[in-house]
Amino acid sequence: MDAKKFSLKSLIFSKINRKLSFLVISALLAPALGIYLFYYILSSSFPSGVFSEQAELLRTTAVFIIIFISIINAGVIGLFVTRSISKPIKELHKATLELEKGNYDTKLDIKTGDEFSELGKAFNLTSKALGRLEQERREIDNAKTEFLSITSHELRSPMTPMKAQLQMLQEGYFGKLNKKQKVSLEIITRNSDRLDNIIVDFLEISRIEAARLKFNFKETDISDIIDETTKFMEGFAKEKNINLVVNIDKIPKIEVDSDRLSQVLRNLIGNAIKFSEENSKIEIDAKLQNDFILFSVRDYGCGLNSENQIRVFEPFYQVENSSRRKHGGTGLGLAICRGIVEAQKGKIWVESKEGKGSKFFFTIPLEPVRNIEPIKVLFSSKKLIERKICEEFKSILGPLGYSEFNDLKSKNSLGKDDLLNYIDSLTDLHIIPLEKGMNFKNKIGGIFGEEKTVINNENDSMCDFEDEVLVRN
Amino acid sequence: MPKVVLIVDDEEDVRESVRMILSANGFTVDTAVDGDDCLRKVNQIKPDLVLLDIMMPGKPVSEIIKEIPNTKIAFMSVVRISDARKRGLCSQPNIVDFFQKPFNVSDLVDRVEFILNG
Repeated sequence: MDAKKFSLKSLIFSKINRKLSFLVISALLAPALGIYLFYYILSSSFPSGVFSEQAELLRTTAVFIIIFISIINAGVIGLFVTRSISKPIKELHKATLELEKGNYDTKLDIKTGDEFSELGKAFNLTSKALGRLEQERREIDNAKTEFLSITSHELRSPMTPMKAQLQMLQEGYFGKLNKKQKVSLEIITRNSDRLDNIIVDFLEISRIEAARLKFNFKETDISDIIDETTKFMEGFAKEKNINLVVNIDKIPKIEVDSDRLSQVLRNLIGNAIKFSEENSKIEIDAKLQNDFILFSVRDYGCGLNSENQIRVFEPFYQVENSSRRKHGGTGLGLAICRGIVEAQKGKIWVESKEGKGSKFFFTIPLEPVRNIEPIKVLFSSKKLIERKICEEFKSILGPLGYSEFNDLKSKNSLGKDDLLNYIDSLTDLHIIPLEKGMNFKNKIGGIFGEEKTVINNENDSMCDFEDEVLVRN
Repeated sequence: MPKVVLIVDDEEDVRESVRMILSANGFTVDTAVDGDDCLRKVNQIKPDLVLLDIMMPGKPVSEIIKEIPNTKIAFMSVVRISDARKRGLCSQPNIVDFFQKPFNVSDLVDRVEFILNG
């Protein structure tokens, strides 16, 4: 910024100040000069001494009239000046709000001929620049999705002959293999499979981001899908002697893409198996909740801390660096689940305690969403969630909210439990009333996905873990 | 008399790999590089089965299959296609199967055997 522009000199000689000064001075001086002139002519037209007493009276009266007229004049001019300043400010305010809504075509037309006109022109240039940047951002975003899609296709094509040749080698098409050759081929096969899985997941993400995800809705019994998926996953669960417990409430038949639903469930159950100890159990529930069906997959594995609970849906985010190597997978599974669920206007979230296990929830609507919108799964969900939390803090706690938010952030306490505990402490200390605290909690719950559970069924979610603590104690 | 399979794919390595697999399993194999080549070869060698990639430059697949209504055709595709679209694609009676690329070698052999030898 140019500091010179804000100097006292430039303020005094600003166009607005010149205009105002001229108005005020003329408002005050014009009547004074006029009336004094009138008095002067009147008094000088009489010989001195004869009229001196009346003249004295006249002068006093004139002074009062001057003061009176000046006050009225000042008031009128003040009103005029205030209006002439506040009108462009109001227009500017309105236009800024439009800009905030993303309406970059907003134009200001202030013709006051002073700094406000200049401000208006600068505003127009800014909104034009913002519009251009927004356009560019969209183009880049589309290019990214397109690039991802094309690259994935191009990467997938060579997999076909590669895998075919590998399998032919392994199946002895070209002669018997010795032990070392077999091991070598196994390694190549395993890694080409992994590469292929990543490419397939990339393609899936490019479809989600470009709203090209296809849903094939058919009236289906949800329990059939869950049973089939569970049966399929039982093979993997057996390896660790994990028991899959299914609990399905009475749910009406709904129109749903069974392949997609099964894909999400397989992913969640697969993760639950990966992160469970041997000889434990995994609970798979489904129940009706308003206009949605709420699914949950609960494991008794290592659980997630609050940071990980937020970030677990980010692409390639894995809880520990070693986890991918240990557990396999592409690191895109949960991001794809989120894309599929959100494309159907559902929500997906996790509740967890470290060492106690995790419970993944997701909802799908009773009425299928046919108009698929693009979902940004490549964005960091952490930043998005933090921004939403910060906004709630500011709206509920006012100006204090921002510093409180930053305080919690620096302590790495932006997990759902931390925030709910924080709100409890606010209501306990009567810093905010109980009702406001409840509202705050619902808002935070909503950000983490489960507004429907918090509002309607408060004992449903986290208490699952609390009960367990009590029982164990 | 060994059964004759025509492989139509614009990628040479795919053609070559499928040719190696099927000829090792006792089929007579010929290849074509695109739709026009495919139609020419079909008239020339009268194959028992055409393995046809659904995404190729040149003549669209929908036109190719119309011109050879009496030849068994199995599609191959690297693009994942939903079951619903697969059913749509396979609606013509001479379309007998759909192979997702990358395919499994023994699965390919089994299915081709089943189509041609029952």
